Amino acid sequence: MYLKHIYLRNFRNYLEQEVKFEAQKTIIVGNNAQGKSNLLEAVELLATLKSHRTSRDRDFVKEGAIAGQIEATVERTYGSTDLGLILRKQGRRTARLNCENLRRQMDFLGHLNAVQFSSLDLDLVRGSPENRRNWLDSLLVQLEPVYAYILQQYDRVLRQRNALLRKLKKAEETPSQDTFTQLALWDAQLAANGSRVTRRRARGLERLIPIAQGWHARISGEKEVLEINYTPNVNWDRDDPETVQNAFLAQIRDRQIPERHQGTSLVGPHRDEIELTINGTPARFYGSQGQQRTLVLALKLAELELIEEVIREPPLLLLDDVLAELDPNRQNQLLEAIQDRFQTLITTTHIHAFDAQWLNASQVLSVMEGSISIF
Amino acid sequence: MQALAQALIDAKKQVGFCRICFHLSAEPVCSICSDRNRDKAIICVVADSRDVIALEKTREYHGAYHVLGGVISPMDGVGPDLLNIQPLIRRASQTEVQETILAISPSIEGETTTLYIAQLLKPFVKVTQIAFGLPMGGDLEYADEVTLARALEGRRELL
Repeated sequence: MYLKHIYLRNFRNYLEQEVKFEAQKTIIVGNNAQGKSNLLEAVELLATLKSHRTSRDRDFVKEGAIAGQIEATVERTYGSTDLGLILRKQGRRTARLNCENLRRQMDFLGHLNAVQFSSLDLDLVRGSPENRRNWLDSLLVQLEPVYAYILQQYDRVLRQRNALLRKLKKAEETPSQDTFTQLALWDAQLAANGSRVTRRRARGLERLIPIAQGWHARISGEKEVLEINYTPNVNWDRDDPETVQNAFLAQIRDRQIPERHQGTSLVGPHRDEIELTINGTPARFYGSQGQQRTLVLALKLAELELIEEVIREPPLLLLDDVLAELDPNRQNQLLEAIQDRFQTLITTTHIHAFDAQWLNASQVLSVMEGSISIF
Repeated sequence: MQALAQALIDAKKQVGFCRICFHLSAEPVCSICSDRNRDKAIICVVADSRDVIALEKTREYHGAYHVLGGVISPMDGVGPDLLNIQPLIRRASQTEVQETILAISPSIEGETTTLYIAQLLKPFVKVTQIAFGLPMGGDLEYADEVTLARALEGRRELL
């Protein structure tokens, strides 16, 4: 797939900007805080409807404006698609596909696929389990857009159930039998919707893990062994809806007292973990920053490969200020892997980080204070 | 302009709820509940008056309605006690009522409300739920996974 052009209006620090992508690789040069990452963020939003930098739409809107806009044209083997997104300071966003407003955001996904690799991705190794869950979820959303809907439904159940548990905790008198009838219904909803989330996470990881391990072995020169372990909050052994749902209900029964005491849901995929270990030691504690970078690089390359395998078209690769952070060996591994197959957008503060061969094959743009021009 | 303003004032003054089914009505009993030709043995349960209007447009349904006035949503502080559920149980437990059809949107809250009401009504009356699935004229291959899954769930045996 190929992103032909993107148009930004009142998005982050861009007032109005059109960018035509004219080569398989585009290098975007600029000092810090000029708008390089904002451009990649716009592409990430089109691919996942999410940004790894914020979850609030108003953050996308330029100071003084009421709405920001992203328009783009993507060329796929089956034809070209126009994507549009309006993000508002207040109120819901509008997603448009070929100039038609979409009723469901799910229908927007799957037209543009992208893998984002930024310096923040080291949090995948060092950060909390939430970082890893979000990473896996946004990959799954690209592989199967319906997962976005499943996640949204689960989130809704969780919030409703938590509201009821909070009410129960606050209640001064003993709750009525009817309250427990209601809670049992929310338990069943949590089990039904939560089991969809955990089963899809397990299935996605099952495909990703061998690819990531392969890359990791190659980059580390076969010196390190990467293990990725999905440890769902609710354990289940047989992948069929009923078994998994029963496991949920059993665990909800077990955790009844602490849940009531804390007034919040303690059971479900919102507490899943994806363990990363190198040579048997948790990657968080293991080794140098360089080794952690190797791990993240292996994960990103695996994402790229898996998306290509499932979509049957190479996704975009967004490299946000990371090339300079990799040592020459890892840089070469990455460049060799992407070759000319993946359209790649690269941001950097220093153009001389690239060798001449690369610069000749790339379109080079410069960004200054929210304005993009030819370098 | 004057006419419009007067219409709004009248609407505000006159429109209340039917004391039987809680549908919007200018009279104490709405035109559907007072219609002798409607089959009072069947009650269709909906969340909102707008749903009654949508179903009426089909001209396919000739039973009575019951408007809940919302769906269960702990987040918004809406428990079953705020909905017209007790009056529904009183209505449904009358001997002449043979079936209640639950026609509540299949959102998370709608589904939970459906399950809640079904539990309460089951001892008194036959409870059914409307089918959710493919739109007419829709092609299977263009239907999304969620809709297809729901349609599969609601499949039925052919005679």
